[in-house]
Amino acid sequence: MAYNVAVDVGGTFTDVLVFDEGTGELTEGKVLSTPDDPSRGVVEGMERVCEKVGIGFSDLRLLFHGTTVVTNMILTNTGSRVGLLTTKGHEQILYLARAWTPGPLYGWMALQKPDPPAEPTDTIGIGERMAADGSVISDLDEDEVREAVKGLVDRGVESLAIGFLNSYVNPAHERKARDVARGAYPDLPVSISADIGQEYGEYERTLTTVVNTAVQPRTITYMRGFETSMKEKKFGGRLSIVRSDGGAMSTEAVAERPIQIALSGPSGGVTGSAYLAREIGVPDVLTLDMGGTSTDVALCLGGETPLQREISLGYFRFKVPSADVHSVGAGGGSIAFLSASGALQVGPASAGADPGPAAYGRGGKAPTVTDANVVLHRIPPGVALGGSLALDKEAARRAVQTVAEPLGMSVEEAAEAILEIVNENMHAALRVVSVERGHDPREFGLVAFGGAGPMHACALGRLIRSHPVVVPPTPGVMSAFGFLSSDIQNEFPETYLRTAEETPASELKKTVEGLISQADEWLDGEGVEEDQKRFDLYADCRYYLQNIQIPCRFELDELSGEDSSFLRSRFEEAHDQRYNFELPDSPLEIATVRVIGRGTIRGVTLSEGENGAGGDASGSVMRTEQAYFGGWTDTPILDRNALRPGNEVTGPAVVVQDDTTTVIEPGYRGEVDSFGNILIEEA
Amino acid sequence: MVLQEGALPDFVREHDIDHVTLDIIENALKNIRHEMDRVLVTTAVSPVIREQADEFPLIADRKGRMIVGQFGSPVDTVLANSPYRLEDLKEGDVIALNDPYMMEGSTSHLPDILLVRPIFHSDEHIGYALQWGNLMDVGGSTAGSIPIDARSIFEEGVRMPPVKLYDGGKLNEEVLRFFCHNSRTPRETRADVMAIAAGTATGAQRVKDICDRFGKDTYLEACDALLARTRTSIIGLIRQLIPEGQRFEFEDFTDDDGLGNGPIKLKLAMWREGDSLHLDWEGTDAQVPGPVNFLLNKEMFQMFAGVFLISAVDPTILFNDGYADVIHVNIPEGSVLRPKAPAPLSNRLVVMARLFDVLGAVYAKAIGFNVSGSYGTSPNFVYSGVKKDGEPFQTMEILYGGIPAIPGKDGLDGHSWWPEFMAVPAEYMETYYPMLVDEYSVRPDSCGAGQFRGGCGIKKVYRFLADGAITYQDDRAATFPYGVAGGKPGASSKKTLVRAEGATVEMPSKVRDVPVYEGDRLVFETAGAGGVGDPLERDPEAVAKDVRWNLVSPESAEREYGVVVGEGGTVDAAATGTRREEILASRGDLPGFDHGDLPPLEDQRRAVAETRRKFNEWLSGELGAARNGKP
Repeated sequence: MAYNVAVDVGGTFTDVLVFDEGTGELTEGKVLSTPDDPSRGVVEGMERVCEKVGIGFSDLRLLFHGTTVVTNMILTNTGSRVGLLTTKGHEQILYLARAWTPGPLYGWMALQKPDPPAEPTDTIGIGERMAADGSVISDLDEDEVREAVKGLVDRGVESLAIGFLNSYVNPAHERKARDVARGAYPDLPVSISADIGQEYGEYERTLTTVVNTAVQPRTITYMRGFETSMKEKKFGGRLSIVRSDGGAMSTEAVAERPIQIALSGPSGGVTGSAYLAREIGVPDVLTLDMGGTSTDVALCLGGETPLQREISLGYFRFKVPSADVHSVGAGGGSIAFLSASGALQVGPASAGADPGPAAYGRGGKAPTVTDANVVLHRIPPGVALGGSLALDKEAARRAVQTVAEPLGMSVEEAAEAILEIVNENMHAALRVVSVERGHDPREFGLVAFGGAGPMHACALGRLIRSHPVVVPPTPGVMSAFGFLSSDIQNEFPETYLRTAEETPASELKKTVEGLISQADEWLDGEGVEEDQKRFDLYADCRYYLQNIQIPCRFELDELSGEDSSFLRSRFEEAHDQRYNFELPDSPLEIATVRVIGRGTIRGVTLSEGENGAGGDASGSVMRTEQAYFGGWTDTPILDRNALRPGNEVTGPAVVVQDDTTTVIEPGYRGEVDSFGNILIEEA
Repeated sequence: MVLQEGALPDFVREHDIDHVTLDIIENALKNIRHEMDRVLVTTAVSPVIREQADEFPLIADRKGRMIVGQFGSPVDTVLANSPYRLEDLKEGDVIALNDPYMMEGSTSHLPDILLVRPIFHSDEHIGYALQWGNLMDVGGSTAGSIPIDARSIFEEGVRMPPVKLYDGGKLNEEVLRFFCHNSRTPRETRADVMAIAAGTATGAQRVKDICDRFGKDTYLEACDALLARTRTSIIGLIRQLIPEGQRFEFEDFTDDDGLGNGPIKLKLAMWREGDSLHLDWEGTDAQVPGPVNFLLNKEMFQMFAGVFLISAVDPTILFNDGYADVIHVNIPEGSVLRPKAPAPLSNRLVVMARLFDVLGAVYAKAIGFNVSGSYGTSPNFVYSGVKKDGEPFQTMEILYGGIPAIPGKDGLDGHSWWPEFMAVPAEYMETYYPMLVDEYSVRPDSCGAGQFRGGCGIKKVYRFLADGAITYQDDRAATFPYGVAGGKPGASSKKTLVRAEGATVEMPSKVRDVPVYEGDRLVFETAGAGGVGDPLERDPEAVAKDVRWNLVSPESAEREYGVVVGEGGTVDAAATGTRREEILASRGDLPGFDHGDLPPLEDQRRAVAETRRKFNEWLSGELGAARNGKP
């Protein structure tokens, strides 16, 4: 029998999820992460779960690994020392950082700008110039390159990035400079910006290249070490690393582009939700991943993971494909406070994992969202989160009292107010990805997961009016679940910048076919079989000179006309849906052409359980407690593990499982579907 | 707390709304503003909006008072200047105008178009969504519609009085066509106006969503409560921060008006009486013939004044028109801040920038913290002409100078003073326009020295690839961005035209339609910003880092900071100690404000006039040569 495993390394916990291809059974486990050497926690977690299932590493066919190795290096600026070659006259490109200043008025007073990821003293301008149309204005001065690289290496630079202007149109100078550098120092890792980004925007492309270069050596070390330890444990299957866009790729591919795995964790939850939604017949869903410090939301259409071309980490924004996830500083640890004008606010400041909420009893004094949930018994007394953490209810009440008093409210009222405010912040985030983009949330389901998601799921379904609200069986390890459903995937974009009206379809077709063959070759390299391959084609369009790029999907056989204006109606439909206007006189610009190459490897398939248990859930009721819903009310506490497909639970009710609780408000009812999800609807 | 019995605004009373609902509505309104921004920035086509975000949204209540936003709400004035009364407005109407004189300066020159959309909920009027954006061109005598030598607003572009751009949801195609026809960039102007309209539609829809959710009456009550809450907060801040019984004054100068008149004085006095803060521009110079007059909207200035307090103490306070009766503003009629129509206004940015300096300095004196040096400049730059393939083009870009130092923090080098603005990528400009950006770098030594140094200006070198003309509006070429508390002023700005054949011309801070030819270059150097505190108190390691990073030269490190930086960029501690003692022994007292080494005002005036006269002479020669073919 074959088994697949997914491992998600987070800041605090390493999650492991094993899928049994024979029985369809999922087995999860959590161990503490080991930040000094993350692979130690991974091995330990895998061993523990494998033991639970009764298998060895050699029984594993597919291994999906999501890691924060790259994220942490970026956030703590602990990558290798990178030297940078730029076009002469643009040496301070990273230092100037596009002059961006945050709002509001006087926002510059508060801006703490980090140092550039390549030291200005390690940046050297080179004589060369490429025009925006790809023609050469002045030749590359190779002697200058040689001298510059020597100076940098002598100074202690460990790797080299090259970012010349307009290289995304014609990379000849960058490539030549790379060859010169490699010729002189064969062991020096060198990357060029044309390989990293294919869009205009010299700052973003150079930044992305430099950071990619900086994290490369340690990422490679980590990958090699990880592979070795897997081999030692007799793992002989396919090892895939999860990317920021929810796809997966080999360690060799990661070694080339480590920046592409910078946000692998959040993408997993979205990929998993999209897959789950597709399987249970609710293909259009909003996702809500609520953790300790933040909540990630996304909108999945047609069971697909939504993609964007940019990620933000701290002050920096990088141009790499990633799951289109919107993040807001609202989580279980978010702290409630009163502003100077007396307005109650929650977050974005968080009590984090240490000291954590007051209820953790580790010295936290500030009232948090978790404390509010404890005060109201949304986390019932006696329940230990994560199976081991006993909660101090009195400490939670004392903390909430600090805002209740100035507000002139009871502790319960203040706790409800805290939940309402934090729910509102998440509601706003859900609106950003739905309403603001022209989608009606009432036509979407809502998948809620993460440690705190199921507690707030029902409330958010009520606010945004999405239904059903879906709480998956393993909400605490949703990212790992998503990893299992990943495709082998990579994106091949090319900046196009031609108007659809003046582009013969045959020319566009030539470009697309070129990208397809690149994607095909890459998939071959990843060992994907022919019948598993799939190519998704996109033209990212806009009205001439606009700042957006709306992806317009098409098929190869549509490229037969005299021009490419068949894209226009596709674009205008989306533009009108989002912004309510069209510009009939404006040419349509094809900004980017993209091919996404996928190899489907099926790490997981959902299996339906017997649906014969009937509606009666009384067998799962552990006890009845008082919980607060606008007033103290008798509320049954149910055991999630004892719930069976078909069971119905009428609110108010709290369903308890290892790492979270699912709250069903009065006026709502939950039903367990045949896959074990709780679907919550208005009663 | 009550100052004038019976004069309290109507929203100051008990409010029938629970605390949590109010907080939720406040959050929702803040989000609406951001959403309006996003709609416009993503759908607009002109680079100043899409790449630089030069636009602002606002939500006003039924009476036209700003509830959230970042500029002064002019709804009353707009209606008064229009043929419409409130009863004439209906769902789907949008009033558009760009004439600053018809909206009390709410936007202050013609390229900024304002759209006002009344919001209705179940047929009842509940407020307004407003948004303005900077259009690339609205006609007038020069590309970009900021002719630096205009003598009246009629030279500055087409003026749109309040008209219904949309009437009941139907686009007034004729008026838009007429307006755009007067622009050199009709297609872009049209697209941008549509994008701004989409922004207001989003704002209006979201306000309706709030009403659907909480009830219209609750929303209206919330508007009043939010005004009252901000008013109370501001009163608290004023009482807490501004001492009573003292008068704080400051004055500073804008270079010139583009016609040879200057420097131009801005003078502000501030004092507190009970709960009220008074800001008086008496003593500010009279309006000038050239277009740097800044028609200052009173509500907007009240907001600026309040925002400064809010930013300094608690940025989570919502700013709105709630404190309009608490901050009293006097702007003398006929001054450069309240010019009489039809005075030209297009180039008001330079006076606006100085206004923030003066306001900041007055607060600095009053509250003694967050004292910052003076900001550099953020000039506009326009290059227009005809590409080799015959297609006309026109760029517009905003450049940035140094950001001032504040106590505890150096100023940023070459950053935007304006919130959410960014520099335009060279690759964008080069893709769409016939130019090359040969250099974009920090201008070393342009920062004002100080314990915390001001930001450096930038140097941007453009190479032109087609014949055309350039126009720009800069300042701080004849004066310096001041330093405070011992800090030195930043460097002046500088623009040099380098002809393809090698001739160089130093140009004044404001020029229009200077002919340029393929291969010419413009070296644009923006001003630095003022420093804060005694430069001898600056950490020598910080000076050495600035030297290593090529922001400060070794000579300047030694001269200004007394820091001797040796080979390899490390501090020579012994030499530094000696040097600092020498400087300390030889220098006098440090001034509270250091405006730099300037001659007497009379001499400055003569120099400004002389510079303009000489430049005009040169320009006449260039234009004559252009008429006879390339020089």
